[in-house]
Amino acid sequence: MELILTPHVNTPNGFTLDFYVKQGGYEALRKALSMTPDDVVDVVKASGLRGRGGAGFPTGMKWQFVDKKSSKPKYICCNADESEPGTFKDHVLMERNPHLLFEGCLIACHAIGAKVAYIYIRGEFYHVQEVLEAELAKARAAGFIGKNIFGTGFDCEIFVHRGAGAYEAGEETALIESLEGKRAQPRLKPPFPAVAGLYDCPTAVNNVETLCNVPPIITRGAEWFASLGPEKNGGPKLYCLSGHVKRPGVYEAPMHVTVKELIYGEQYGGGIRGDRKLKAVIPGGSSVPILLPDQIDIPASFDGVMKAGSMLGSAGMIVMDETTCMVWAAENLLYFYKHESCGKCTPCREGGDWLHKLLGRIERGEGQMKDIDLLLSVANNITGKTLCAFGDAAATPVLTTVGLFREEFEAHVREGRCTLKADWRSEARAHAHAH
Amino acid sequence: METVTLTIDGQSVTVPKGKSVLEAIHASGGHVPYYCYHPGLQVDGSCRVCIVKIEKMPKLQTSCSTACADGMVVTTNSPEVEAARASVFEFLLVNHPLDCPVCDKGGECPLQDYAYSYGPERSRMEFPRRVFDGEGVKADVDFGPTLMLNRNRCIMCTRCERFMKEVDGDAQIGVFQRGVHSEIATFEEKGVVSLLSGNLMDVCPVGAITTRDYRFKSRPWDNPMAVDTICTGCEKGCNTTAWIKAKPEWAKGARLVRLTPRFNEDINQYWMCDIGRFDYHWVESDRRLLQPHVRSSRGSDATPWDEALVAVKAAVDAAGASHARVLVSGHASLEELYVLKQFAGLTGGVTFSWRHRPKPQPANTQFPIPAVDAPNLRGAKDLGFKLGATDSATDVSGLRAAVDTGAVKLLYVIDPGPDGSVGDTEWILAAKQSGKIATLIVQGVLKSALTEAADIVLPGCAFVEKDVTFTNATGHVQPASRVITPPGDAAEDWQILSKVAVAFGATVAQTTAAAVRQAIASECGSTPGYSALADLAFSRPVSARQYMQASNPMERGKWDTMFQDLPPIKFGDDFGPLPRADVIPLKPV
Repeated sequence: MELILTPHVNTPNGFTLDFYVKQGGYEALRKALSMTPDDVVDVVKASGLRGRGGAGFPTGMKWQFVDKKSSKPKYICCNADESEPGTFKDHVLMERNPHLLFEGCLIACHAIGAKVAYIYIRGEFYHVQEVLEAELAKARAAGFIGKNIFGTGFDCEIFVHRGAGAYEAGEETALIESLEGKRAQPRLKPPFPAVAGLYDCPTAVNNVETLCNVPPIITRGAEWFASLGPEKNGGPKLYCLSGHVKRPGVYEAPMHVTVKELIYGEQYGGGIRGDRKLKAVIPGGSSVPILLPDQIDIPASFDGVMKAGSMLGSAGMIVMDETTCMVWAAENLLYFYKHESCGKCTPCREGGDWLHKLLGRIERGEGQMKDIDLLLSVANNITGKTLCAFGDAAATPVLTTVGLFREEFEAHVREGRCTLKADWRSEARAHAHAH
Repeated sequence: METVTLTIDGQSVTVPKGKSVLEAIHASGGHVPYYCYHPGLQVDGSCRVCIVKIEKMPKLQTSCSTACADGMVVTTNSPEVEAARASVFEFLLVNHPLDCPVCDKGGECPLQDYAYSYGPERSRMEFPRRVFDGEGVKADVDFGPTLMLNRNRCIMCTRCERFMKEVDGDAQIGVFQRGVHSEIATFEEKGVVSLLSGNLMDVCPVGAITTRDYRFKSRPWDNPMAVDTICTGCEKGCNTTAWIKAKPEWAKGARLVRLTPRFNEDINQYWMCDIGRFDYHWVESDRRLLQPHVRSSRGSDATPWDEALVAVKAAVDAAGASHARVLVSGHASLEELYVLKQFAGLTGGVTFSWRHRPKPQPANTQFPIPAVDAPNLRGAKDLGFKLGATDSATDVSGLRAAVDTGAVKLLYVIDPGPDGSVGDTEWILAAKQSGKIATLIVQGVLKSALTEAADIVLPGCAFVEKDVTFTNATGHVQPASRVITPPGDAAEDWQILSKVAVAFGATVAQTTAAAVRQAIASECGSTPGYSALADLAFSRPVSARQYMQASNPMERGKWDTMFQDLPPIKFGDDFGPLPRADVIPLKPV
């Protein structure tokens, strides 16, 4: 199978400008600049490219919503604040194929009439920033970025901005706030960023992987792209396999591939570590409902996973084998959500902390039976009442683990300890002590 | 005006386009609770308690951030909405200390009231509450020269942050940390330093921000009476409410316990400055002039009014009316100036003097405080007085020149304002010392170097002790109501003036303040605002509950639940009519 986004990630110096140009790089930009912006949007729309950040919103439509008649400047914001637990695909793209991202940004700018693109990268990705800045300088020197690109009169600049490290900065309006120098807290919508985004100007916020898909669409056409995957789920997709698989990592595959293939396929995960039994899969980063082993023979596409009752999200597949304690897993995830809650709106700020405290009590064996129903009640009280999707994301791990593995929670309460033989946990503690 | 029509709880409501659902609900007589929403600030949408069900929208929506649209069907009281709202209240109280009995906001706290009205019966939270700086008294930390901050009580509505950013213009407050550890703090350690800092206590929906001036001084049920009045600190004329503490006359301490801003869209919106808010202690201070004083060979003695007025007559006769000059501060009300005008022509001339004091404020503030510390200069002009060479700056050069040449045998200073409101007085004292002014008569409210040097002192009333009117810089003619009775023998200034007029050989036809106002109305009726003076009604003390329901749209709902569960206050529900100002109490207070 041909790799489209990650063909040279393992090639030495595959990330450099020289290598990229030798492979036909920046030709898509040349072609896009010969088209009108509306034509570029139409091609992307026809390709059916859906946002790879998590929601799967059609990218062409997002660009179309950008108010082109506005007298204000327009902006492209590339969302590279990849912070979802279990997700690490954008990291690979930025580190190993940065020019594909730059080219995608430039084409997007041309499509919506922007002159500036910002790449907002996560605070912890300082080494990625170095790569991006260095390659950006080279591309600028080579005339691919800056004034009058390819002599077409198209001016475009790309800036890399590294945040201070916040999960919430991945929410598009929070990203914009952070880019403006404020706290990374979501804004009220409407107005949507397409109308009033960065500096109150029309803005499109796109994920790294989404923008990386744009140059191949321009070069090889919308029909080719759509034909790569199932209907309405076209194009290549990066899957992040983590957890108890033999070969964790980032794998590129069309969305025909099933979750089962990704976990057990020889070219992908290669099966469960230690040939244990599979217990659960979180298919799209930590914020989506869990899939059980009998639910995984489904296409790993936006619609396929949705049909099974979960979401593809950012395609961060967290695989958990039979030794995993789900109470511990939920507590672990809620620690993350409690820590990352921006604190703006009440249910998420107070509820996340409360859930984490309750889970900690049950995990330590100090819980009571009523705590389990309280968990569900508190999580349900958060769901749907928050300013952004974070609240729902924080409640999901609780709702899904208690919903599917309630007997484990009850066992914790009854026995006052974890009933699973979880040797990995003692290993983890031993490691912690060693350090 | 374009309007939209929507249905709220089965009732059809028409509101102007662009209004939020929350505003429409309140306009239609319904109510939803709110914390982060404030009509004077931008919408934040973070507290989530104003959620309502809107048909065709999948989730519950915050009514403060949703604009009304034609055909919208809004439900505020379905079981789904009530359960959701209760859950948010449970979250709000997860970390909020339930120290209402010792909290300054207790009794007038929206969180307390709404949690009782809309919250769940009991909390299911069993963990220790989050504590920032300590519990009890340790929780209160400095928050600048005027405020204290209790972060444990904060519910992160960020009204204070938005007030500083949007109204004050100097964004000193920010939110620090993240999630449940979020805390309100200032960027600099010195806390909030602003002339509008007192408003932060008003906007704070809980007891997190309190003013050093008011905290621990009174509880809401201790000051059940409120009077609508105005501030006379400067030419802005902010509308305010004066709160009276219920206490017997012999008890220690002041009756006037605080001043809060009152909504007036044209003048001060929802705000007032710290000068007006905190600088009222002089009214009931020990430095008040309680009785007329006349200087004799024995020194300056307290005398009854009739003897003092005889002394005034004698002094005017000795000097000759045309050698007497009058110096008026900008604090004289319309009534006083009108009476003064009746005999101004018989004197050597009337000069106005006031203090010009630019206030240090950010350049982009939305609430500029004028530099002119005089509430009634515009009124003086409207009554036909000439203020000086220019209207903006004090000009006493003519009077000083006359004093230097010895043409002024008697100087009559009228200043019913606080310290400094008559501007520079050093030159008067020097002239009196050197004998260039033979006789100095001072009509004022506070003891000062000027009253010490004066031959005759006539005690007047402060702005909260008399029913008078002022015209602010923008031409609004506004009443300042009597809130408390004046101390000692102090009398209303217009009455003093009408008696002094006799000494100058003039008669004032009007015998009541209302008649004076009618005369002003007929004289200045062509100037906008003055015709209403003819039948002006002053605010009388009303119970705080009635007051809040009637006057302040922003807080209308907040007070609906106030005082309902409390036993009758020890002084009953009503003070009865306040004693008239000219009835002298048996014992000076």
